[in-house]
Amino acid sequence: MNGVRTIFGREIASYFTSLFAYLIAAAVLLITGILFINNIGRSQDQVAPNPAAIPDFFAFALIFFAPLLTMRLLAEERREGTLELLLTSPTSDSSIVIGKFAGAWAYYTIILAITFVYQVILLNISQGQTDLAHALCAYIGIWLYGGACLAVGMVFSAATDNQIVAAFLASAALFLLWIGDRVGEVIPNINVARFIRELTLQSHYASSFAVGLLRAEDIVFFAGIIAVMLFITIRLVESNRWR
Amino acid sequence: MIEVKDLSKRYGDRLAVNAISFKAQPGEIVGLLGPNGAGKTTTMRMLTGFMPPTSGSAAIGGFDVVEDSFEARSRVGYLPERVPLYPDMTTEGYVTFWAKLRGVRQPAQAARAVLERLHLDDRSKTLVRNLSKGMRQRLGLAQALVHNPPVIILDEPTIGIDPQQVIEVRETIAALRQSHTVLISTHILSEAEQICDRVIIINQGKIVAQGKPGDLRKKLNAANLESVFLQMVNKDKRA
Ligand SMILES: Nc1ncnc2c1ncn2[C@@H]1O[C@H](COP(=O)(O)OP(=O)(O)O)[C@@H](O)[C@H]1O
Ligand SMILES: [Mg+2]
Repeated sequence: MNGVRTIFGREIASYFTSLFAYLIAAAVLLITGILFINNIGRSQDQVAPNPAAIPDFFAFALIFFAPLLTMRLLAEERREGTLELLLTSPTSDSSIVIGKFAGAWAYYTIILAITFVYQVILLNISQGQTDLAHALCAYIGIWLYGGACLAVGMVFSAATDNQIVAAFLASAALFLLWIGDRVGEVIPNINVARFIRELTLQSHYASSFAVGLLRAEDIVFFAGIIAVMLFITIRLVESNRWR
Repeated sequence: MIEVKDLSKRYGDRLAVNAISFKAQPGEIVGLLGPNGAGKTTTMRMLTGFMPPTSGSAAIGGFDVVEDSFEARSRVGYLPERVPLYPDMTTEGYVTFWAKLRGVRQPAQAARAVLERLHLDDRSKTLVRNLSKGMRQRLGLAQALVHNPPVIILDEPTIGIDPQQVIEVRETIAALRQSHTVLISTHILSEAEQICDRVIIINQGKIVAQGKPGDLRKKLNAANLESVFLQMVNKDKRA
């Protein structure tokens, strides 16, 4: 536990002292800000604003955003040789991976939490007419979705020393886990299409959390993906002891 | 303190370390001397718990490096061949991090103390990436000492720094003798002769000679360790 806490602390501090991390946050907040203004604009045309507009944007943006946060996590430790010191300190391999994952997820949570301010503003200007429960549900969904994307990104960071390669491969994987939700448009066989859809991250968000449905199976799905990805990452980190 | 028995490591079909055995006691600086590729780094990586041995065993303070890995690891301070650094941290932040990870009770205090000892205290707020090569080497040493481990393992600690800094690092290592068991590797004979109480000459994964630098010289009837070393290495090549 000491290991997880110490690694987590270093990760969080490194996000807050990294210009790159601030740039990512600034870009995300800028785009969501613009989206929010558009969303209010809609409400003036007598169409109810979509309470899930911001989380919906994250669902797509995570394809690029998550790999940028995770690409250096293990690739850099290997390149700098610090992984050798981590692996020879009295800390388990899993504490190292979990601490790093928790750091990335916490940073993502902070950025996501900042965008929740929009929801509060919306609630105020609509005089309580917004569906806050729907918004909360979408936020819970996208929070889990983000955790799963970060866990996928970590696998690739553990698999290579090259951060660019790690980011690129993670983006490609996340793109498939997003676009796969629309597999029905190209695969005529309903059962095959449904099966593939079930495996994508997007399908467990878009047709449930995003429309205000909180389902246990989707929560379990995201938690399961996180667990499996962390397990693979731990194994990959451990493999450094064998080469 | 360090106890190595028939330790071997195989990479594929290459036997990098071949059944070596030795011991090192507190108050002793033991040098692992050998040419590049002799198996020094591999030996140290097994002692520090980075990689498991293929066969044989090693113990630190009585704790087996495989069976009681955490106990063994917590008793070692390790400086790998290439100094592992976090360029974006401050000097003090870097050392404090390793202190915390190794369970030091008052990590910030321990970090400041070790930085002072290695004359880096005036750089405690400097980013690691802005340090000179010699300072980085000392910072690497600082992280290996911050938790005050009984065993200190340093892999070629004077490689790639200028002569003035080499002298400083050697002095620092010599001062560790009193309260620690120190194992250092080097391919420089004069260095081993200068700072080690005992030298283990290793070539192609095997121990070819060991003893006090003076005794080795006498026993092999050579003017200095340099010729002992060359004798050994060449004999092995011919064989
Ligand atoms: N990870 C590895 N995989 C395969 N062979 C290796 C690995 N590390 C070292 N070796 C080989 O093992 C031998 C010993 O290497 P090493 O322990 O690094 O020697 P030294 O530190 O004395 O220079 C060398 O022949 C080296 O090429
Ligand atoms: Mg070496």
